[in-house]
Amino acid sequence: MASISVPIGSVPGQSAPRPRLRVSDYLRWSVDHKIIGVQYMVTAAFFFIVGGTLAMLIRLELLTPNLDVVQTGSQYNTLFSVHGLVMIFLWIIPMMAGFGNYLVPLMLGAKDMAFPWLNAFAFWLIPPAGILMVGSMLVGAPEAGWTQYPPLSTLFSGDGQTLAALSVHLLGISSILGAINFLVTVKNMRPPGMSYWQMPLFVWAIVATSIIVVMATPFLAGALTLLILDRVGGTTFFDATKGGDVLLWQNVFWFYSHPAVYIMVLPGMGILSDVLSVHSRKPIFGYKMIALSSMAIGIVGFTVWAHHMFTSLQPELRIPFMITSMIIAVPTGIKIFSWLGTLWRGKIRFTSAMLFSLGFLSMFVIGGITGVMLAMIPFNLHVHDTYFVVAHLHFVLFGGSVFAIYSGVYHWFPKITGRMLDERLGRLHFALTYIGFFFTFFPMHFAGMLGMPRRVAVYMPEYQGLNATASFGSFLLGISTFLLLYNVIASLRSGRLAGANPWRALTLEWATTSPPPATNFVGDPVLFEDPYGYGTEGASDYLDAIERRFGAPSQPVVVDKPASPAAQGASGD
Amino acid sequence: MSEASLQPQVEHHAADGHHHDPAARAENLKFATWLYLASEVVIFSVLIATYVVFRLHSPEVVEHFHEGLNEWPGIWLVSINTFILLSSSWAMVMGLRQIQRGNRQGLIRWISLTALMGALFVLFQYVEYSELSHKGITLYYNTDGTFTDFGMRFYAPTAFHGAHVIVGILWALFVVFNARRGNYSADNYAGVEVFGLYWHFVDVVWIVLFTLIYLV
Repeated sequence: MASISVPIGSVPGQSAPRPRLRVSDYLRWSVDHKIIGVQYMVTAAFFFIVGGTLAMLIRLELLTPNLDVVQTGSQYNTLFSVHGLVMIFLWIIPMMAGFGNYLVPLMLGAKDMAFPWLNAFAFWLIPPAGILMVGSMLVGAPEAGWTQYPPLSTLFSGDGQTLAALSVHLLGISSILGAINFLVTVKNMRPPGMSYWQMPLFVWAIVATSIIVVMATPFLAGALTLLILDRVGGTTFFDATKGGDVLLWQNVFWFYSHPAVYIMVLPGMGILSDVLSVHSRKPIFGYKMIALSSMAIGIVGFTVWAHHMFTSLQPELRIPFMITSMIIAVPTGIKIFSWLGTLWRGKIRFTSAMLFSLGFLSMFVIGGITGVMLAMIPFNLHVHDTYFVVAHLHFVLFGGSVFAIYSGVYHWFPKITGRMLDERLGRLHFALTYIGFFFTFFPMHFAGMLGMPRRVAVYMPEYQGLNATASFGSFLLGISTFLLLYNVIASLRSGRLAGANPWRALTLEWATTSPPPATNFVGDPVLFEDPYGYGTEGASDYLDAIERRFGAPSQPVVVDKPASPAAQGASGD
Repeated sequence: MSEASLQPQVEHHAADGHHHDPAARAENLKFATWLYLASEVVIFSVLIATYVVFRLHSPEVVEHFHEGLNEWPGIWLVSINTFILLSSSWAMVMGLRQIQRGNRQGLIRWISLTALMGALFVLFQYVEYSELSHKGITLYYNTDGTFTDFGMRFYAPTAFHGAHVIVGILWALFVVFNARRGNYSADNYAGVEVFGLYWHFVDVVWIVLFTLIYLV
């Protein structure tokens, strides 16, 4: 058994210079990727609560079949439109960018990103965009959903729609700049000795994501420019009565927004690859396949957009898009089976990070299967614009992306702050989230199959049972968020000291103090040849050496149970 | 493996230089510029797509526009303008050649010429737009013209390109400013190179737009 219980203070190198960061350091311009990463995450978490509050209002409204929380359908339109826009553009995408910013340079043993100034600039576009988005609700709210289809978004929605479009425009620029920075960093700043095939899979996921961002987000920028011109410039690009074409918007929007689905989930899959391997003490199964399947998803993702438009498309174009939409499930399946292969006969530690990753695995598979169902034209026509679609997208974005974010928070919080999150609270958080999530979104499948349309505040009374179940589930989900918030705040003050490498992970971000010094590494980082080479004696020695040099956790984080006969190898690593 | 194995190995020192090494910085800048231009291609393709979709719907309006180009200044003005813009790319390359040989004054002269030609392009585009607006081709929808909904599809890509030329002129002036302060030399000219990439890109986009909107 590996000795993770080295008493604190007994080792040299414990007093490595730690940055003493105050809250005010995070409120001003900084070009340090670690500060920018935290700025991204905290900003995103704030907007998660904003979007979550809107979601709670939506579920409160849908508790009964009649209007009660809102007075008009327009107000309800505002709720779900801004909820969608905030959650996608101000929570998931910036949160993933936050992980990327904090982790990519550390994982590559670099001192910072390739363009630190650009990095800070990209972040500081987000707060004004957020203000525009929230402000949009106050000045004739946007009512056209997050997809902003014309003519709803051009002829009917209030002035807030313009502000929301400007906000998304800014966020798009921010993510393009961030993606360029990531790609240059990964290409040019890997340490000598680290080939592309030795990068952590999270870095691979960020590469795939960034390629999609650079190639897809400008489509949205172009379309939004035309939309804004239509709204304020007197043009009629999307006005069918004046020579415009509404389908043009749908085509261009989904040509961005379908790849954007992968922008939101690929980094989460990267997080999962790291967490599953570390917490089951086994090399990742099918490293190259996981890395390449991200790329495959990125490429195939550009060929499926019209499956969002089966009802508005020329019928002869449906079949090709049905086929590509089913093909894209294959690389995702490769990942799922690789992760299962990683877990198989591993020494699984049910830490909070691991639990959320397993939660992702189970829930994302449901989202993936309903995705293939939706790709089938006859079924799609049946459930088009019903709650089945809402259920599917939330299984992918919440059961996928958000579970992965939670997993990443529990996994890397010790590195970012130097303190552990409370594991018992973490497990409770997981249980509440998992149950709350399931009961919020699973009944929506049935509601959709029975024909309940999405985006309505008033529905037929026979759907009330399913909706009430979903609403109570969502309240549980809302409460569970505060457990994490409390855990974060309490652990910042009094969490156990994490040491350099509490999970005994082999990737480079753990080979320095927690939190890392301003230059990330004192001297040059020494990398272990295989970022997922758990279970070997070499790995065990490397991890012991890291611990001796940079410090151990204040007490054993996880007490390893005696190896079961099924587990391979005797070493704890 | 012992504690000693955590001592850095010799070749790791190379990793240190990333931030200050001008060669590495030049590599970063060039790669980032390529990526940025890739995203620009995508934005332009949306605007071009709006034009193409419109043309497929109402080919007769575009034909009518093409007939109008036969009157002076029409196509001649645009052709001269295209020639000016293409020549400016040549001036740009000459400027880069001068600094690669260490001739800073040459760089300043050629890049200034590039900016001047860019400014001429914008000026002539303004003249062209005024002519067109007299013919009733406007950005706004109006009910009483032949070109009622052609204007916006025409102006969106061309004016967006014009805006890129204006940005390019400012960038050229920035390069000249840097050159006068002595920031470039025979082995440090990445700043000129990335401006060149951008300027050539703006040229190439114009070739596409010129062909698609005026010629075919």
